[in-house]
Amino acid sequence: MTVESMPSTTKPKLRLKNVSKEFVAKRTGQRTLAVSDFSLDVRPGEFLCVVGPSGCGKSTVLNMIAGLDQPTNGSIVMDGQPVTGPGAERGVMFQDYALFPWKSVRDNVGFGLKHGTPGNGMSAVARSKRVDHFVNMVGLKGAETKFPHQLSGGMRQRVALARLLANGPEILLMDEPLGALDAQTRMVLQVELLRIWGEAADHGERKTVIFITHGIDEAVFLADRVVVMSSHPGRVNAVIDIDIPRPRTEHVRSEPRFGQLTEEIWSLIRDEAYQAIA
Amino acid sequence: MTTATRTPSIASLPPAAKAVALPALLVVIWQVWALTLPENSPAPAPAKVVASFVALTASGDLIWSTLQSLGRVVAGFGIAMVCGIGLGVLMGSSRVVRENLDPIVESFRPIAPMAILPIAILWFGTGTPAALTIVAYAAFFPLLVNTVYGVSRVDRQLVRAAQTMGIGRLRTVFAVIVPAAVPSVLLGSRLAMGVAWTAIIAAELAVGAKSGSGGSGGIGNMMFIFYAYSVDLNGIVVCMIVVGVIALLIDRLFRAAEHRLLPWRT
Repeated sequence: MTVESMPSTTKPKLRLKNVSKEFVAKRTGQRTLAVSDFSLDVRPGEFLCVVGPSGCGKSTVLNMIAGLDQPTNGSIVMDGQPVTGPGAERGVMFQDYALFPWKSVRDNVGFGLKHGTPGNGMSAVARSKRVDHFVNMVGLKGAETKFPHQLSGGMRQRVALARLLANGPEILLMDEPLGALDAQTRMVLQVELLRIWGEAADHGERKTVIFITHGIDEAVFLADRVVVMSSHPGRVNAVIDIDIPRPRTEHVRSEPRFGQLTEEIWSLIRDEAYQAIA
Repeated sequence: MTTATRTPSIASLPPAAKAVALPALLVVIWQVWALTLPENSPAPAPAKVVASFVALTASGDLIWSTLQSLGRVVAGFGIAMVCGIGLGVLMGSSRVVRENLDPIVESFRPIAPMAILPIAILWFGTGTPAALTIVAYAAFFPLLVNTVYGVSRVDRQLVRAAQTMGIGRLRTVFAVIVPAAVPSVLLGSRLAMGVAWTAIIAAELAVGAKSGSGGSGGIGNMMFIFYAYSVDLNGIVVCMIVVGVIALLIDRLFRAAEHRLLPWRT
């Protein structure tokens, strides 16, 4: 009963097949299985949220998709091409934003365009225009010359988002991007994120998003589908379709369906969450 | 209603006045003490020091010697910068290089610059090359150690972020790692310049002991001549004060540069 999602026969944008990741501690040689037998098809243009108890390997999965970590087993394929390392077509927004502290807001947003592959074949004027476009889109006009340490958490998050978008990735990988913000700022930015993602636009215009969060309500508010993970080792527990129509506004949060879905996901995680603090 | 006249306390003075108050008091005490001495006493006194300063400045000797010493420091510091920062970036970014060179560096580091003077004089004579060697040696270690620290402690997340923007390895070094290490390198530069200035004075003094009045010049050599030949304590005090003031100026200059070059800090 998915709403406005394409038929499941559509070719996946990204396919993870039996992916597992084992970490070996350097000193003790102790092995930890962080992710086990993780399989998932990500559809083009969908907003996919990943939730699960702390330490369930959410970030590990994201890092493997980004190419920053290599799977121990299994394969990750994007548009039919195996992922072997990091690349600008898979942009990452890090939990701590990873802004360059010595660069102004403008230069942070334009960093990938200046030094990386996204700026290839682009003139300086075109780059500058592109930076302006995304600086304005995330509402940072007037703060262009400030340095990261002069910004609030919410503004840093906007810089990181503008930088991610300016690089024009096909898949946006977001690792708890709103995690460090206070509750009010987070709710405002959730709505804004959907606007920037292109909720009101045609489905074909939208980017594919994989968004990690520990907030179940956040996942329900944002996502087309929610992947619920369980831990030790990290694996897919369930994939829930979020059938709340778009565009979504603040009112969605008070709808009965919103509560039902949140409750459904929470019931899948609850036992492990209690175990984790017991 | 009568207003009591408040006695001015030190606490109520502006900071600049406070900084000068105590030294001024000491100078006064020193001068008073000197007045009790016989006229031909060799002991230094503030009035005689000032007279000596005026005479040495007027003759150009003081300025020339100071410039000579400063020139050596700048040149030696330049050599140390090229070697220290270059090797530091290499050691900081490659664990293999670091682990292999660290024992060598750490076994040379505790050897005081003065302790290599005998070899420097035997190899390079008593002229400028020996002085440059000492200065470069002294300045090398603070630069190296701080560069290695800065480069090896760069936030890994920034490097990962660069990789996800399609930035290559070499470009990452110049666009991310080097700028991130600049604060450490600047701190290392300031410390290095400080020890370089200390080392040049000591080196010139020691070289003077070897070559006597026919020494290679510089403010340290000037002090040696006052000590060994003319026995002019007032001249020595002038030199000491100049050395101290220049050390202070160098420190302030480097701090100002740090502030200027790192507007993103604080």
